[in-house]
Amino acid sequence: MAVITLHYRYLERLVGSDRETILARLPMIGSDIERIEEDHVDVEFFPDRPDLFSVEGVARAMRGFLGLETGLPKYKVTPSGISFSIDPGLAAIRPYLGSAVIRGISLDEESILSLMGLQEALHWAVGRGRSKVAIGIHDLDAVTPPFRYLAADRSRAFVPLDFSEEMTMEEILDHHPKGRAYAHVVRDFPRYPLIVDARDRVLSFPPIINGELRTAVNIICTALAETGATIQCVEIGGAHVPTLAPTERLVSANEASTLLGVELDPLALSLLLEKMRFGAEPAGGDQVRVMVPCYRADIMHDWDIFEDAAIAYGYEHFDAAISPTFAIGCPHPVMEIYGAAREILCGLGFQEVMPFTLTNERVLSSRMQRPLPDSALKVMHPISEEHTHVRTDLIPLLLEMCQLNRHRELPQRLFALGDVVEGLATRQRVACVSTHLGADFSEAYAVADALCREFSLAFTVREPDDPAFLAGRRGALLVGGRQVGVFGEIHPAVLNAWELEHPVAAVELDLTAVPGYPCPPGTP
Amino acid sequence: MDLSLNEKRLLKVLEPLKKADPATLAARMETSGESVIQFAMLLEGRGLCRVEKQVDTTYSLTDEGARYAREGLPERQLLQSFGDRIPMSELTRHPLSRIGIGQMRKKGWVAIRDGMVEKTGNDAPGEEELALRDLSRGGAGLGELLKRGLVTDHQETSYLIALTTEGETLVKRGLDLEAEVGTLSREQIITGTWKDLRLRRYSLGTLPKRIYPGKVHPYQRLIGEMRNVLLYMGFTEIYGDIVQSAFWNFDALFQPQDHPAREMQDTFYLKETIQVPPGFERVRDMHLHGGTTSSTGWGGQWSREKAEQCVLRTHTTSLSIQHLAAHPEPPVKAFCINRVYRREAIDPTHLPEFEQLEGIVMDEGVSFRHLLGYLKEFYFRMGFADVRFRPAYFPYTEPSVEPEVFVPGLGWVEMGGAGIFREEVTAPWGIHHPVLAWGLGVSRMAMLRLGLKDLRLLYKSDIEWVKEMPSWQQGLENRGGR
Repeated sequence: MAVITLHYRYLERLVGSDRETILARLPMIGSDIERIEEDHVDVEFFPDRPDLFSVEGVARAMRGFLGLETGLPKYKVTPSGISFSIDPGLAAIRPYLGSAVIRGISLDEESILSLMGLQEALHWAVGRGRSKVAIGIHDLDAVTPPFRYLAADRSRAFVPLDFSEEMTMEEILDHHPKGRAYAHVVRDFPRYPLIVDARDRVLSFPPIINGELRTAVNIICTALAETGATIQCVEIGGAHVPTLAPTERLVSANEASTLLGVELDPLALSLLLEKMRFGAEPAGGDQVRVMVPCYRADIMHDWDIFEDAAIAYGYEHFDAAISPTFAIGCPHPVMEIYGAAREILCGLGFQEVMPFTLTNERVLSSRMQRPLPDSALKVMHPISEEHTHVRTDLIPLLLEMCQLNRHRELPQRLFALGDVVEGLATRQRVACVSTHLGADFSEAYAVADALCREFSLAFTVREPDDPAFLAGRRGALLVGGRQVGVFGEIHPAVLNAWELEHPVAAVELDLTAVPGYPCPPGTP
Repeated sequence: MDLSLNEKRLLKVLEPLKKADPATLAARMETSGESVIQFAMLLEGRGLCRVEKQVDTTYSLTDEGARYAREGLPERQLLQSFGDRIPMSELTRHPLSRIGIGQMRKKGWVAIRDGMVEKTGNDAPGEEELALRDLSRGGAGLGELLKRGLVTDHQETSYLIALTTEGETLVKRGLDLEAEVGTLSREQIITGTWKDLRLRRYSLGTLPKRIYPGKVHPYQRLIGEMRNVLLYMGFTEIYGDIVQSAFWNFDALFQPQDHPAREMQDTFYLKETIQVPPGFERVRDMHLHGGTTSSTGWGGQWSREKAEQCVLRTHTTSLSIQHLAAHPEPPVKAFCINRVYRREAIDPTHLPEFEQLEGIVMDEGVSFRHLLGYLKEFYFRMGFADVRFRPAYFPYTEPSVEPEVFVPGLGWVEMGGAGIFREEVTAPWGIHHPVLAWGLGVSRMAMLRLGLKDLRLLYKSDIEWVKEMPSWQQGLENRGGR
């Protein structure tokens, strides 16, 4: 998330209001205040509003929101006479470049901090860690136009920032800290992008530049223009950029009123939008002509504009009320089956536990003496060795729970119900374990029998070859020839593996076998 | 003083003896020694007698010890097996050499020099041998024998029961020894003899043994409560698969394919794939250029392969949009409370899986104002009377809002997110009315309501916590509405 530091003195100067007023209203424009300090405040802005990642941008928005200066901010762009050429060899690498000349800038400590913060935040939010956009700011007095953007040979050498020795571009990717951090972005290209000036001095070795760059250039230029700088355009491949021109959109005041639930005529809507620094005026009928400032990267759809109107209106001023929509509440049958299972097992004296669905092969297979089912689903990049597979059974997780509670009093009677995954399909299971001095096959059979009777499940039994249970003390529940459950006395070797010292009777039932189970499983 | 009949009878037989052992008293009361001790303990609690506990230890030889008592300790037998000296190599052939040599040296009976074992002549019977002949000698010798496993000890607890002055006074005042009945028998109840019985009175001061009912997990109870609130509010419950295609989990929700939340860093991907559903082209077009709406779309490329990757659902919104796609006609009021999966490192407040609650309302004429209304109503019924709203950003809603609830002692607490589904999300499925949507991290609510500091306790529970957590607690007063 982008956390921006706003120094009060600079902020107050740019907004033209006091810090109390600004801080009180700041959250209501869409931000989270992280920390309030003596001389500054740290504020988190949302990733869709990179234009608020600088003190200048925040001040511009707050002047509108507080009603001090509304409407579209206008930025004048004059020609600079400076040009950039783009090497056609970059077409397959990184063909896009944006540039602007900024003059008459007076940088004091606070505005430099703000500019650096903005560059950093833009790299994160718009540039996605420089994989989409990389931004460089250079002192025009120290370089000589025109500039060239080249596809340079990988062996080309120059002296990188913070280094005294010349390095080749390949060496930079291997040894320079910045180079290493972003090497993955360009590594695979046969030639590397490079910006040089008229005297062949290297300005930068940009990892990447493409589509989002216009946003980035506009945001930086307009933020600096807010401090009084003059913006000049640069010729790149015949086009003069940036223009800093707004985009026009015609929106409907009726649509805005319907969406927000507030009566807004075109004039009222225009006034709200002006507070959010749009240019807006009634355009006949219910239409409003909206001029979207060039730094607003988030306006994709008319509703994005209506949200700004809602913010200007103030969320606290909406008359919140539920709609008259009539509908009858209806539980999902799977949840009803879970509810019945819960009632039955609580009645039998079991306590519910809610283990994780992510588990591992040790829990599901090796400790259980069972082979891992072919249908077990493995996640590609697990967060830890404990969470590599989605559970296929519940009994192993209940035994893990018993292990966690080894030091607790016996008897322990636990049950769990929930989703398991077979292949890509989500199924529902219930399982229970009982551990105490006398836990045995008869107890497991009695619970399995009760569970099935309560679920109106006509079942038959046969002995399965499930090695998690003791031979001669295990049973499989069959319904219509399909095995839908197991029960029995857990094998002592499995108990040893779980470090359990008392016998455990266990039952597991597939709830997809229950009459009335909705088909096909998993349909929302 | 409310004495049971048994207590009174014990006092009565104890009175002439003043002090006696349980067996004597048991014989006179025609009961067992254990019962006598139990009655005496009760009387002791009332200060009417004293129970003196004495632990006596007796010693006996083990099988090995008994053999040595007959034949001599191994070191003695070994010592007697040779003359003044013997080569070590020869002595080690003796069956008792393994125990014997060490002991002989330790006791100073022999010295070993250059592979020869020589007697020192200093071989008087030691404490151990004396103790072995007569265990009652006790002392250090007995301790050694215990250590060597030649003797075992048994501890026997015996009791002596003595009448106190208070007890004596009470007996002298006279005791009513008419028989008392504890548990009523079926006979007594149906024949009416219960009328003539003297029923024992039980003490309220003695707490009963704790028993526990079979129980629903406290977290599940909270989830059930939320579920009921939504059912009462007329919402239909939805449910669906844990494994979803990236198409339903992300693309259908207009999350661009290069969105950071879609990276391996944050989402659990599987190597399996699921085909995109019919109509996927409309979603693709929405990403590319905004389809038939006023949207510009994201531009760039849209990859079908990326959409067909499988993920563990990162939110239940993937189920909401499928429900809407299947029910595009108004009205729809639906909710879901279920597990979602995020690739988060585990710590007290972050887990890779947790429950999410989600509600949606789609109807003609519903608006942002109504969304705020549903949020207020829902949180009110969950026990939070004060709710306020702040602007927010979520990729698939516009406008978006973050509700905050007031929690005494904590202040305003952020509680989920909400908004109206973007037209880019709804238009591909022929949904022509706004969809109000809100989501909530249920575990966050659980931390507040159950007073938890570590979320892991919900899933890896200490069963003692489950047992002790009351089934009903204050905080449900708003469930019935205003």
